[in-house]
Amino acid sequence: MRAVTPLFDRRAFLRASGLAFAATLAPRALSAMERADALYASAYRDQSGRYGIATLSERGEIIDRALLPDRAHGLAYSPATDRIAAFARRPGTYMLVLDRKGLAEPVLIHALEGHHFYGHGCFSPDGRTLFACENNFDAGQGVIGLYDATDNFRRRGEFPSHGIGPHDLSISDDATMLVVANGGIETHPDFGRTKLNLDHMQPSLVLISAEDGSLIERHDLPASLSKLSTRHVDVDGEGRIWFAGQYEGPRNDLPPLAGSFRRGEDIRFLALPEEITQKLSLYVGAIAVNRSQGLIGLVSPKGGTAVTVRARDGKVLAVTSLADAAGIAPSPGPSGFALSSYEGRFGEKNCDLSWDQHMAALSPVHL
Amino acid sequence: MLKRLILPLFGFALLAPPALAVEEDKADLVLEKAVDDVIRPGYRSFADTTTSLETALSTLCTTPSEPNAQAAKAAFDAALKSWGMVEIIRSGPALEDNRFERVLYYPDRKGIALKQIQQILSKKDASAEKVETLHQKSVGVQGLGALEYVLYGTGSETLLAEPHGHRCLYGQAIAANLKAIAGELSAAWEKPGGIGDQWKHPGPDNPVFRDDREAVTELLGIMVHGVEMVREQRIEAFYPEGNPKAALLRRAGKTWDMLGANLTGLSIFWKKAHMETLLKEDQRSVASSIGFVMKSMIRVTGTVTPDIEKAVSDKDEKAKLDFLLLNSKDLISRLSEDYGKALGLGAGFSFSDGD
Repeated sequence: MRAVTPLFDRRAFLRASGLAFAATLAPRALSAMERADALYASAYRDQSGRYGIATLSERGEIIDRALLPDRAHGLAYSPATDRIAAFARRPGTYMLVLDRKGLAEPVLIHALEGHHFYGHGCFSPDGRTLFACENNFDAGQGVIGLYDATDNFRRRGEFPSHGIGPHDLSISDDATMLVVANGGIETHPDFGRTKLNLDHMQPSLVLISAEDGSLIERHDLPASLSKLSTRHVDVDGEGRIWFAGQYEGPRNDLPPLAGSFRRGEDIRFLALPEEITQKLSLYVGAIAVNRSQGLIGLVSPKGGTAVTVRARDGKVLAVTSLADAAGIAPSPGPSGFALSSYEGRFGEKNCDLSWDQHMAALSPVHL
Repeated sequence: MLKRLILPLFGFALLAPPALAVEEDKADLVLEKAVDDVIRPGYRSFADTTTSLETALSTLCTTPSEPNAQAAKAAFDAALKSWGMVEIIRSGPALEDNRFERVLYYPDRKGIALKQIQQILSKKDASAEKVETLHQKSVGVQGLGALEYVLYGTGSETLLAEPHGHRCLYGQAIAANLKAIAGELSAAWEKPGGIGDQWKHPGPDNPVFRDDREAVTELLGIMVHGVEMVREQRIEAFYPEGNPKAALLRRAGKTWDMLGANLTGLSIFWKKAHMETLLKEDQRSVASSIGFVMKSMIRVTGTVTPDIEKAVSDKDEKAKLDFLLLNSKDLISRLSEDYGKALGLGAGFSFSDGD
């Protein structure tokens, strides 16, 4: 018997999937979708070196796929409009928005002159605005680009990210506040992916008004953790912000790699056992929150490890070894999370696609 | 309760990261050779050539003459080539204190560094004549790019006009700055118990590499990122699109010398570190293909005209540039895909270069 949480049943899922989309699928893919408890999207690279995006069931059955202009990194999903946005990997210059209902043509968005994307973004809860992390490299400033989803994703402005190198962002459920993970690392497309300031990094986590971009609060990391690049964020059902980092300091250090805070509170670092910090190889590539089960998932491709932590008390509930572990997203199943790997592993299936670093749960509600 | 539920249901709980598909003693030997036979000698050579460069500039400033100017240019040529060989090692002390950018700031996309250099010269800024104060200035005015302008740029004939002229003293300070940086880099790699030794002995308490897998990944990273630099930052800066005037060291006609030095540095790294020995016998064709492509690229690089305007317009010269772009792409793929996978580094080295 499949485990289905009360928050995510098949009828809701099929409604969310959209009849028009379902009608376009091959019978095998349609069958896989109908049997699925959850759907996910992930960017990939195929064996010919082409890049694309695929939707798949929690068992790893590929439902649909489409080619992308170049390598993508993070994805954003809007349950309100059933759109998926794929963001080019740093220092890429495109975003592609797909309408899963098939009612609109894909929208290819190019970065503003002098800007590139960092690889992540999010939709406002009503799906009307797409926020994207960008580097205004001519000005040497991190910004959050605002794109109007009701007007063919016209860029209608930008907010300062209030820090160096905004990599990932999320938005509060009430749509008032953006949460930005400023990795603190300077990059410039002229120097490819080279990190230019490793000896004077300034990582920070900031809350900014989604209305006008003003700074609500900024959390700089303590000097002892200035080499912990805060890269990825997610928000739990209580409004607590969870973040994960990648440490650029000595390899034999054992810094905290993740933590959390609520608005108005100081950061609380997650105290993982030493052996688990070692398994994560100082590098958490992605973080996900499973709201319905109260879990936090961390994944490290460098360490080939995924860790499940109970949000309430930080207790480690599961440690999984998975070579080239890549994406993590909440799952309605008892494990709490779906995992993918660069090697093509997703759930219990292997395929000939290399899944990229992140995946998105295509769920009508927060899992 | 939850733990008991979760642990068995992770269907791939036993899919542990594969060990490096390389015998440990072979990896250790490659690391030792990379440090002792490539990196340390490379930085020693850069320290030697920059010492000679400072001497040559000092001689030119004291006794301006055409032969001394030629000698300074020859010393500049030797210094930039020796830097080109180790520039590929984007790791360790080179990444600290902006040493990379101080030695060679490129690209100068908006010409900001060029304007700063021209200002120093036009205003006869005395603070640029001393290495101590030059060090405090923009990184773009401190290194090989700035010295190229001093020796080859507009007004370079004034180097011969008078002893201890401003332009020459600025050049001498640049050379002294390069010598100081080269000395720091070499000392850091030679220091007992320092980064050189740390590279050679990965382990749980090592601040650089915990195991051979991490160390070998770094070596492969040097190769892949080195080729990417040549291709994406140096050739594609002006071809097939872009401004030929943006070519690296164009004024001195040293663009291809520098790219040749980068590629030769990669080839030496590959050969002298014996990186092919990490492959099993039946995988050695991967190594021979990589060696062949590198050799071909070095050969062609040496035949491209230094006249960049001609290089991007003449049919035969363009064919060479196309060859370099095509083969650099192929080389990246052979290194990151074929070689990386053969070593057990997963689904493609560069693909797992995370973010």
